Amino acid sequence: MAGPEEEVIVDKVPFKEGIFRADRADADTGNGTLLGNKCASCGRIYFPPADFCFDCFGQAMAEAPLSQRGKLYSYTLCHMPASRFKPPFFVGLVDMPEGVRVFAPLKAAAGRPFHIGMDMEVKIEELWQEKDQQVIGYVFEPVK
Amino acid sequence: MFSSPLNNQEGRIFMREVAVIGVGQSVFGKFPGRTAASLGGEAVAAALKDCGMHPKDIQVAYAARAYDANCTAQAVLKEVGVTAFEMINVENACAGGATAFRGVWKEIACGRYDIGIAIGVESMTTSPIAGKLIPPEKDDLDGYLGMTMPAMFGMVARRQMEEYGATAEDFALVSVKNHHHGCLNPQAQYRKEFTVEEILQSRMISEPITLLMCCPNTDGAAAAILCSMEVARKYTTQPIKVIGSALLTGDYKYLQKDICASPVGVKAAQMAYEMAGCAPKDIDLVEMHDAFANEEILRYEDLALCAPGEGLDLLRSGATAIGGRIPVNPSGGLLALGHPLSASGVRTVCEVVLHLRGQAGARQTPNAKVGLAQMLGGLVTGLEHGVTAGIHILAR
Repeated sequence: MAGPEEEVIVDKVPFKEGIFRADRADADTGNGTLLGNKCASCGRIYFPPADFCFDCFGQAMAEAPLSQRGKLYSYTLCHMPASRFKPPFFVGLVDMPEGVRVFAPLKAAAGRPFHIGMDMEVKIEELWQEKDQQVIGYVFEPVK
Repeated sequence: MFSSPLNNQEGRIFMREVAVIGVGQSVFGKFPGRTAASLGGEAVAAALKDCGMHPKDIQVAYAARAYDANCTAQAVLKEVGVTAFEMINVENACAGGATAFRGVWKEIACGRYDIGIAIGVESMTTSPIAGKLIPPEKDDLDGYLGMTMPAMFGMVARRQMEEYGATAEDFALVSVKNHHHGCLNPQAQYRKEFTVEEILQSRMISEPITLLMCCPNTDGAAAAILCSMEVARKYTTQPIKVIGSALLTGDYKYLQKDICASPVGVKAAQMAYEMAGCAPKDIDLVEMHDAFANEEILRYEDLALCAPGEGLDLLRSGATAIGGRIPVNPSGGLLALGHPLSASGVRTVCEVVLHLRGQAGARQTPNAKVGLAQMLGGLVTGLEHGVTAGIHILAR
């Protein structure tokens, strides 16, 4: 029960349901997982999850969590506002070992400037605030 | 050499030879006080005057517009006294104009009509996206996460630098070239020379893409009048033949391993060359989608103007400048002439027609016999970027 001395807890809401999860046991690290899916017939993996396999038209799809790490395929520093982000902000494409390429905001790390091919790690964190809600999503950060 | 294959059987449909006989362009620039109908009407009137045709002779119209009202063809044509026939409106992002042109070509090639008009029009300053980047669709995952056209081309540029050794100076060079071309075109939105240094020093948009490497927001329209070859001879001694037409949609994004490549652009080019019965070496000039300066270098390779991986060398050699072996965007391109989205696919055809007639003034490609007009556009989450390619090859 929230006592009167406690601050109002801001709700955390995902920017989109069902495509990622945060590691609750390890909340401080921001670690988490992107939730793809896999065609039971041909094995192709999709992120975001596909309703059916676009390759073989298989209808049976199984959950397929992606690896936490991938390699930076490309990146840019945006100087124009987009979505709810205030410039400048980094975005990039990360190639995951499962064969999918993920677009996401990138989190800069001191002393580790972005370069193509660098190892990146998925993090779950606040993207922006909306009303009294904290909107969370996935970003990638250079591996320490 | 370039006798049209349209006289042959294509599939089971007998195709007639089709010619472009009239072209017209409105002023290009920022005109918040003018409607799309008024800009379109200006382009149509210019095209009619170009071939000395009475407005009532037109039998069918296709109009392309991305933003934002219904019945564009009807609204435009009422401005020039034309009503009461079949009018079709299309949207296909930046390839909308090419789609409209192809629509009219098909109608005439198949024998349904003898005379038709393709119109492309956009009033960006009065559209809901005035002054903004083109927004993502609602519920677009990547759009929520900050994806924009400049961001995409910034990432493409980084790959070009990594894989091919391109530099920001190379990208600037495309913009220098096309702005120089624009200075030679009285109808260009921007008629100003820039140095590589000035392009690089302009405001950063999405690294390494600067403001002067991006096409501007433009209001404007273009129109082209097509007809069967028999009818063409009643109006002109200089009909320009449509010898190749291809319009194609790309595939799922996961199949696009290399974001610098345009699988749909490559395939559409092959289809157009095959239909035209000519090879890339036969092309005398190209008008293409240079919405971002770095994009033009990639598209050289899609169109096989050079071998794969040699786009940079082609640019640096000067071959794609006016006076070079294969001038690309002698009009000034989207970068300098301007880019009213749906108008550009018709406007590129108009420019090629002027060169094939020998009427392109200071920017004329000497003795041009065959020209190619390409458009590529559309950002759809889940599909390859630049999801629609439209290509036309014309010959005198």
